[in-house]
Amino acid sequence: MSTFMRVVWIVTLPVIALLISVLFLGLFRKITARIQRRYGPPVYQPVIDLTKLLTQHSNISHGVMFDMGLIIALAGSVVTVLLIPAGGIHPLSSSGDLLVIIYVMLIPVLGMALAAGDSGNPNASLGVSRKLILGLGYEVPFLLVLLTVMTHGETTSLVNVVQMQADSILSWGVFRFPLSAIATFLILPVMLGIHPFDIVGAPQEISSGPQVEFGGKYLALATIEQALQLFIVIALFVDLFLGGAANLGTFFLKMLGVFLIGIFIGAVYPRFRIDQALRYCWKWPTLFALAGLILVMIIGG
Amino acid sequence: MIMVSILLIAFVGAGGTCLVGRGNPRFRGLVASLVAFLPLIILAFLYGRVISIDYASVPFLDIGLSLRLTPLSWFFGIAIAALGGLAIVFSISYMQGKERLNYYYSMMLLVNASMLGIVLSGDFLSFYIFWEIMSWSTYLLISYRGKQALGAGLKYIIMSIIGSSAMLLAIGSLYISYGTLEIPSLATALQGASAWYALFVLLMFTIAFGIKNAILPLHTWLPDAHSEAVSPFSAILSGILVRMGLYGLFLLMFSVLGLNTLNRLSYGAISFNLVLSWVGALTILFPIFIAVLQDDAKRLIAWSSIGHGGYMILGIGVATTLGIAGGLFHALNYAICVALLFLAVGAVEYRTGTRDLNKLGGLMKRMPITFTGALIGSMGLIGIPLTNGFISKWLIYKTLILSRYPFLAFAALIGTWGTVLYGYKLVHNVFLGQLPEQYKEIEEVPWTMRVPMIVLSGFVVLFGVLPGIPLKAISVIQTHLGMTRLETSLFGMPKAIGELNTLNIFFALLVAGLIAYAAFSASRRSRRVSQYDNYAAGARVPVGGYQHSVRFYDQADRIIRPYLRDRIDDFYGWIATQSTAFFEQLRKIYTGNINTYATWIVLFVAVLIFMGLLGWRI
Repeated sequence: MSTFMRVVWIVTLPVIALLISVLFLGLFRKITARIQRRYGPPVYQPVIDLTKLLTQHSNISHGVMFDMGLIIALAGSVVTVLLIPAGGIHPLSSSGDLLVIIYVMLIPVLGMALAAGDSGNPNASLGVSRKLILGLGYEVPFLLVLLTVMTHGETTSLVNVVQMQADSILSWGVFRFPLSAIATFLILPVMLGIHPFDIVGAPQEISSGPQVEFGGKYLALATIEQALQLFIVIALFVDLFLGGAANLGTFFLKMLGVFLIGIFIGAVYPRFRIDQALRYCWKWPTLFALAGLILVMIIGG
Repeated sequence: MIMVSILLIAFVGAGGTCLVGRGNPRFRGLVASLVAFLPLIILAFLYGRVISIDYASVPFLDIGLSLRLTPLSWFFGIAIAALGGLAIVFSISYMQGKERLNYYYSMMLLVNASMLGIVLSGDFLSFYIFWEIMSWSTYLLISYRGKQALGAGLKYIIMSIIGSSAMLLAIGSLYISYGTLEIPSLATALQGASAWYALFVLLMFTIAFGIKNAILPLHTWLPDAHSEAVSPFSAILSGILVRMGLYGLFLLMFSVLGLNTLNRLSYGAISFNLVLSWVGALTILFPIFIAVLQDDAKRLIAWSSIGHGGYMILGIGVATTLGIAGGLFHALNYAICVALLFLAVGAVEYRTGTRDLNKLGGLMKRMPITFTGALIGSMGLIGIPLTNGFISKWLIYKTLILSRYPFLAFAALIGTWGTVLYGYKLVHNVFLGQLPEQYKEIEEVPWTMRVPMIVLSGFVVLFGVLPGIPLKAISVIQTHLGMTRLETSLFGMPKAIGELNTLNIFFALLVAGLIAYAAFSASRRSRRVSQYDNYAAGARVPVGGYQHSVRFYDQADRIIRPYLRDRIDDFYGWIATQSTAFFEQLRKIYTGNINTYATWIVLFVAVLIFMGLLGWRI
């Protein structure tokens, strides 16, 4: 990739990611509504919401970290998007491998946590506490899965992982490490925070958790950040197990497929309690991930 | 000569500060800072030099005592002198008005001097002497506050003595076997040693160094000692003093025994290095999650200190080029971050008088610089990119994965999430949330306390964005020890090692942040509201009670707490109780009557004569 193209992609990729993820948000609401036999809002509803929130007249702030945390979170998400190969495009991937991605993915989490903490509302702190506990839950199987993939390929580079799956459908991660793929799919809704694991932002119990004090442009930016998280997690799944893609179109189709299956499962479940979620993560997904890793260790690379 | 002068300044200065303090207390802090920083300046000019001198000899043992400067001792020496100096500067305001200050300052300087002595020692006898000076002066400082601190100090010194005895045994045996204690000559001599003998020496030293570096199961002194010591000393204790154990282990493993001998210490698939790595991994896993459960800020950092020691042990345990570099670099990074955190917690305690995580909150608005320090320190511990902790952890993970140790890598990686949990808890419970009414009027700490925090924060970010600076010094160490050295550039790794370019990540984050900020400022300005203008489901926000910090991770807490009881500490406690009864009985031989003592002496001499008659050689 020439330097010029790289710069072009660095600028355009986050924008495309943003559009795609906002579209996903809209789809999410529409499809969930249809499954629950409601009519639902139009697919472009999130765009309307965001425009309204960004142009709202009155905004309130609780302090410096309340503002800065949100900006840090957004910046972190954008950089993560740039590090993850999307359909053969990876403008920044030579600056960071999968280990870097794991750690850059912490920046949005901590940024949001700091913003929520500074709001001085115990509901927000409760939400953050739940988010971090949930993280402890899904990181156990997720890290095992990532280690399986990295040990198998003897590489820590996500670009290499994608390249190894390029030969045929049978070389896709989902067929090479089926156990790890199952484990990851099981924790996908936990990582995305969608039903039945929407514990962090539970509207009824803790008033939307970390977002309780967010309104106006704060809520808009927080929604964008969440949408980008959706993009990141699903893109990571496609890169790890569905062979990435040769072009952006195929890549987004694969993402859409994963996302739809996720919604179909999520929409019919009620919400788990946090301790149930923790036990869930440490039971089946962890067992599958562990078995997958041991298998790879025995059979070898 | 220059080496002797460093130690002379450090040791004489420690005593001199006491005299100055007696004469005129106003100059005490200034003199102490000068004494602490002078060795730093001298050492800085000696970068990359290898100097060795004999400074004395012990006629009856027929050995010489020597000092030796190597890249390894330079690396640790700089860290000791810099952290020691910053802690002294922090002390000037922090300790103002406290009792026995002459004693405090001279002990602080004595600890620094003895640590410098340890890293500059060229033979194991000097090493042992400086090691003992360090142990005892540390004991005196831990007990400085009295009351509970006495118990913590006692626990420390007992474990320390056990370690020292093990070390003395090994040193004695080395002297008997080879007739020398010079490190370079021992390195040559031990190449021909049998694997069993090498293992014996290594194990004895590992006990001594393991107790100092607090590896499982020798860690139990540390949480008590760290939380009871005064904060500036906690910073030194946790930052660099416990890492003297790591220095010793590194010296013994790679400078004295060398990789060839280490590779011989294996039985089938099990080798000393593998066992050490697993000990390191367990040392990460349990203490880090125990830290999550703590409610005392300093105790939390203390447990984290044990856990992060595990990363360093893991790094030097796998003994690859990346692992060794990562382990050493993590020692430096952790020293900076943890010193920063202890100073920040000390600053909070200085202003509020408490370090109970359940009673604080919202202090960010009153103490912004302390907050920034604590935040950057926690980020460094977690290893957020662009902080120094990230680079060292990256090196360790990378080498673990490529050497096919995924389970060790898993322990290290999940430890990070534990660090996220307690790091956020520390920052949130002290600085975020609602400000209690009684702290409404407190102010930021004085500048002598701010400067050390700002300097340390600066280094966290500097080494995170430009890791090449310290990694260069580490690759000099590797070259000096005859290992493959780590190739680095100023900001990242060459392609052959892996994809990491901190400068690109830095600019990407900066630009993305600026764009987000632009979007943020482009929309309507926000209005700042008070902390009581808050959502409470329509009810009035209660003053002083609207905060979630008690049992912050309650749901996870309930599940993981049963697995995290420190049974090793319980076990040692049980041994202590049992032996108390035994020693109570033994004490009865001291009747206070001179005749009884005379009887014991006569009996002892009689036994000796009897053994002599039987022809035993003593």
